[in-house]
Order: sequence, then C-alpha cells, then structure tokens
Amino acid sequence: MRPPSAVNGRRPRGLNARLVMVGVALILAWGGVGYRLVVVQGTRAEEYAARGREQRLHREILAAARGTIFDGEGRELALTVDSVTVYANPREVTDPQVEARYLASLTGQEPARIEELLTSEGTFVYVARQMDPADGARVRAAALPGIYTLDEPRRVYPAGWLTGQVVGFVQPDSNAGLEGLELYYDAALAGTPGRLEVERDPWGRTIPQGEFSVIPAEPGSDLVLTLRTSIQFAAVGALRSGLERTGARAGSVVVLDPRTGAVLAMANLPGFDPADRSSLLPEQVRNRAVTDLFEPGSTQKLITVAAALEAGLVTPGTVLEIPQRLQILDTVFEDFTEHTDRLTVTEIVAQSSNLGTILLGEMLGAQRLHEYMVAFGQGRQTRIDFPGEAPGVLRPPEDWCVTTCVAGTSIGYHVSVTALQMAVAYSVIANDGVWVRPHLVAEVVDGMGGRAPTAPPQKRVVSAETARQIRLMLAAVVDEGTGARAAVEGYRVGGKTGTTRKYLSESGEYSEEDVVASFIGMAPIDDPRVVVAVVLDSPREDASGGKGAAPVFAAVALAALHQLGVPPDAP
Amino acid sequence: MTAPARSLPFPGAAPLRVVVGGARQAPRVGAWGLLAVVVLAAFFLLIYSRVSLDRSAFVLQEVHREMAAEEERYWRLRLTVAELQAPERIVAQAREMGLAYPAAVETIEVPGVGVSGRGAEDRWADLKALLGAQP
Repeated sequence: MRPPSAVNGRRPRGLNARLVMVGVALILAWGGVGYRLVVVQGTRAEEYAARGREQRLHREILAAARGTIFDGEGRELALTVDSVTVYANPREVTDPQVEARYLASLTGQEPARIEELLTSEGTFVYVARQMDPADGARVRAAALPGIYTLDEPRRVYPAGWLTGQVVGFVQPDSNAGLEGLELYYDAALAGTPGRLEVERDPWGRTIPQGEFSVIPAEPGSDLVLTLRTSIQFAAVGALRSGLERTGARAGSVVVLDPRTGAVLAMANLPGFDPADRSSLLPEQVRNRAVTDLFEPGSTQKLITVAAALEAGLVTPGTVLEIPQRLQILDTVFEDFTEHTDRLTVTEIVAQSSNLGTILLGEMLGAQRLHEYMVAFGQGRQTRIDFPGEAPGVLRPPEDWCVTTCVAGTSIGYHVSVTALQMAVAYSVIANDGVWVRPHLVAEVVDGMGGRAPTAPPQKRVVSAETARQIRLMLAAVVDEGTGARAAVEGYRVGGKTGTTRKYLSESGEYSEEDVVASFIGMAPIDDPRVVVAVVLDSPREDASGGKGAAPVFAAVALAALHQLGVPPDAP
Repeated sequence: MTAPARSLPFPGAAPLRVVVGGARQAPRVGAWGLLAVVVLAAFFLLIYSRVSLDRSAFVLQEVHREMAAEEERYWRLRLTVAELQAPERIVAQAREMGLAYPAAVETIEVPGVGVSGRGAEDRWADLKALLGAQP
C-alpha cells in the first residue's frame, strides 16, 4: 500500500505550494536580513558608527580659573573657590516635606521656604546657590529624589566692604565682571575656557584607551593692585569718623603716590560688602571718587596761582592790592577772612583770598587759564583703569561769558571735577611739575607667571621751581592759614581747603544749605610721598574744608606715611 | 633499487639521483611547541599590558580626583588666610585684647641708621638692641 502523500510518486499539490511559500518567506527574510546588513554595515555604516560614538563621547567645557586680585601688600582681595549649587526638579520630588527638612538643615534656610520651592510648578528651581563643597557633598550623598547638585566656581572678597567699590563684583551665574576692576579687567581675569572630549561607559566611567582629547583651559591673569589694604583701612576709618562728626551725607578719600601715579587708597562712603548684595542701592556701589562731580572751589586756586607763576606774571613775593569785596554786574565776590589791602601771592593762597585769586585769573585771561586747567587734567578723564570715569565739566574758553566767568573759574566755580582729578592735579605739584596718569593696577600676571607692569604716561605741566614754590604756599596754608587742622604730628604737610555751595542740577541753582567741603594736600611737603584728597558731601557740622575735611586728611596722611615707612621731617 | 646516476649536460654539476622508499623523517614537534608557547606568551603579554594600561588609567583618574580635591583645599586655605589677615578683624581682636593706638608717637633717631656703606650692619644691630630695650 502506498502512502497517501506520495500517490504515483508525486507530492500533493498543497504541499508543494506550502513549500514554495516557506521558501519564498525564507528567501524574503534572509533577503531582508541581508539588506539590513548591507545598510547597517555598508551604506549607512558611518552614520551608525558616529551615532554610537556620540553616545559614548562626553564633551565638557573646562572653565578657566578666574584670576586673583591682590593688593599691593600681597593680600587677596578677590579669589575664586569651588562651591556646590543645589537645584531641584519639583516633579520628581516624592516627599517635599521630608526633603525640605533635610535640605534646610544643610543650607540654613527655613524648611517652609524650601518646601514651597519643592512644590512649585515647573521642572527647575534653585534650592541653594554656591554652598560650601562639604555641605554640597552631603546633599549629593543623600541622593534625594528630584534633588541635584552642580559644581560652580564662587567669587569671594575677603576684604569685604573695605574695597567693595574699587574691586567690584561678578555676576554669580557666569562669573563675568559687573562692576569695578572686575568689570574693567574682565577679559584678562576671565582666561580662556578649555575643552575635554572623553569616551565614557553607560555608568559615566571613563573608558580606558578610549577616545580622549583635551584642550586645557588657560587660567585668567592675576591683578596686583597699587592699593594697600592698610592705607585703605585707615582711609575708610578716617572717612567714617569724618562723616559721623560732620553729619555729611557721603564722602570720598583718594590717596596717591605722586611719583608713580599709583592709587594707594580709594575710599567711599556709604559703601557695601560684595558678599551681601541682597539690598544694594546704586549710591553704595558707585565709586564716587571717580564718578561724582563737584565744583572744586578754593582747592582750584592752586591751578590759578601755579599758572600765574609759570606764566611769569607774578612771584610768590609779589604784592597785590586786594579789596575785601568786588561786584561784577549782579555777582558779588568777597573774601571771608579779613585781611589787609595788600597781600603777597603766598598770602593769597594761605588766606584763601578769592579776590586775590580772581585778580591772578584776570591777569592770565580765559585762554591761558583754560590751557593750564586742561594741562592739570581738568575737563577730561584721567584715563585711570576703572570703568565709568566722569570727564568733568570744563567749557571751552570761547563759551565763557565776558563778565564773571574768568573770576568764577579762577576760584573753582563753573568747572566740575572728580576727587581723583583734583588729587592728580595736586600730584603735579607734589611731583615737581610732572603729571602722571593714575592707575589702580600695578601689574598683570598671566597664567604662566609672565608679568606686565603698568607704565603710566607722564608729561610736564609746570617747572620744578614753580611746583616747589606752590608747595611752600600750601605749607603756609596749614602752618598759618585755613588748613591748620590738617597738621600732622612729626611731618610738614601742605594743602588747600575748599568749601563750595552745592549746585543743584534739578533747580539749576546753588543750594543755600548744602556745601561740598574738601581738603587736598601732600606730605612731607619737601619731598611728598603721598597726596590725599578728601571730599565731604553736605556736612551739617564743621561744614567747611578747613574744619570738616582737614582732620580727615591729617588722619589719613599720618597712617599712610607710617605705613610707607616715611621718616618724620618736622622738629 | 637505485637508478643509475645520469650526468647532466652541465660541466661540474653534481649528478642527480632518485631515492625510492627513503627513511621517513620524524615530525618537528619541538619547534611547533615552541612557536605555540611563544604565541601564547605574546597573547598573554598583550592581555596583561592592556589590563595594566586600563588599571593605570583608573589610577590616573583617581590621582586627578585627588589633585582636584587638594587644589580645592588649597584655595579654601588661601581664603581662610585672607580672611584672617583682614585689618578689620585684626583691629577688633586687638581692641578685645586691650591694645590701643598710641596717643603720641615718639620718634627715635639713631645716628647713621639708614645710611648705607661700611658698618651698616653694626648700626642696625645697635638699633635693634635699642628697640629691644624698649618697654
């Protein structure tokens, strides 16, 4: 008997069809696999290889370490340390109450505030910015659901409020300079970020002998300032005492080394601590010594007298007929100190005679007076290495009125200056007639240790002899004139007082109550090592340069001379 | 059986001969074994070197981590030193300790001090002795 499937030696028709179908299916399947193989290994091989590589490859921007800012005594005024920022994805937080309580214990915040953050809408919220790394490590180790950490560099300012307005501060997120020297030297301090490419496994571990390339970050340059913390401390302390004593609204002190133009101290009050900027007001941030303008008043007389001496119009001993009072149109000029009808040029300065100085100004004429004012640095920026410097106000002589402008300008009206500009003008006299550009940075030290010292430009303004004569006159101001309170024990000092009614820009008139009291001087007078400018805004008590500002000068000058190791020169 | 040697038409050439059923040579087991050992050793050496490299890479990574931690510590210490040097803190501490700035400063003049040249060191020694005797 034959099997049913092999009738007459033939396979049943249905079986053949099934075999064919299976065969075709197999061919199609293998064909598909083959096609896919060709696609994966052939035509799109590079694309898939690149995709795999991308999954393994970890790219990282290597942040460049921001440069440190040192003072002239080698103390750090700004440096960068590591910190940890804690952030959360509220949608992933499973138990906000418990997590908030734990985070509060580490961050020092209120648990309720953190809980509020953890239950907020959205997928990202900062819990604590720039924490101490040890606390950050604890948060990381706790591995709370929805809580993440991020390593961030943090800029710190160990000197705090002492140098806040000069050093400035950075933007916390980007570490980019926002104010002060941090802003001015941002490019040098920031450095150049590097780049790292490394292959990592799914657990984030580096694959040994995998792809690895690194372009190291170039660290930012360090800045070495001319500022000396010890002198700065004395300046801030003396200014604070001055403000408390006089009730002044604000004040500035600038201490310069007249030989080099180095700024040894630059203090402003009210100030601020860069570490606490939560309730900062613009008037606290501003470096008033560089940005705020005032009419110099009698301190301007130095320039008028120096110009008259340099032009050969008078000598220190020249006697001039000086009235007590002078009226030009409806403006009355008068001297506040009673004097004889005849004064020498030295006495004009010592007694701060407005009329005598006006006479010298008239002898010079508008054109020549203007030329000397420009040469002493008025009406233009000193170009100190600090952002936002005000150029001051000095109109061209052709715009001066023919009546009172020369007279007013001679005694420090119709012209506006900064405290720094006046300190630089007095430095010309202290430095034997040579103007030196002021600067705050002594040298820039790059990441490789290369040093680039600042070489400030210089130019002669008046002769050394004129400068010497003016210094003797300034000494007379302290010895027998209006600046007696500026005397410094053990040293011969010289300077000039200034008291000007405050110009109110809103009303366009001079205030009846508010004055600007100033004293600018130098010590020791025979060979000045420091020039100190003190400006008090709107003092209520001792509201004059001689009473309000001169004692501040004395305190600052004494501290500066001690710190610089200058031996006493007075008997 | 050995076929008779035929001389080739080249002068001086050695005559060829055909050897039938010559003695069979023993296989060179020693040489093959040596080759296998060398290959195996090379293979293990390669594996060992790669493992060593991998281990070194991990060690290097650890060293980098430690370096970063030490650097972080260094900056922290610098910050601490800077904070300790802050004049405001020093003055506050000095006041707490009862120190005060002298009301009057007395200047001591020592002849010759500050003048360079011969005997300068002796003069400094005199000054130091003088200062050392001060209360």
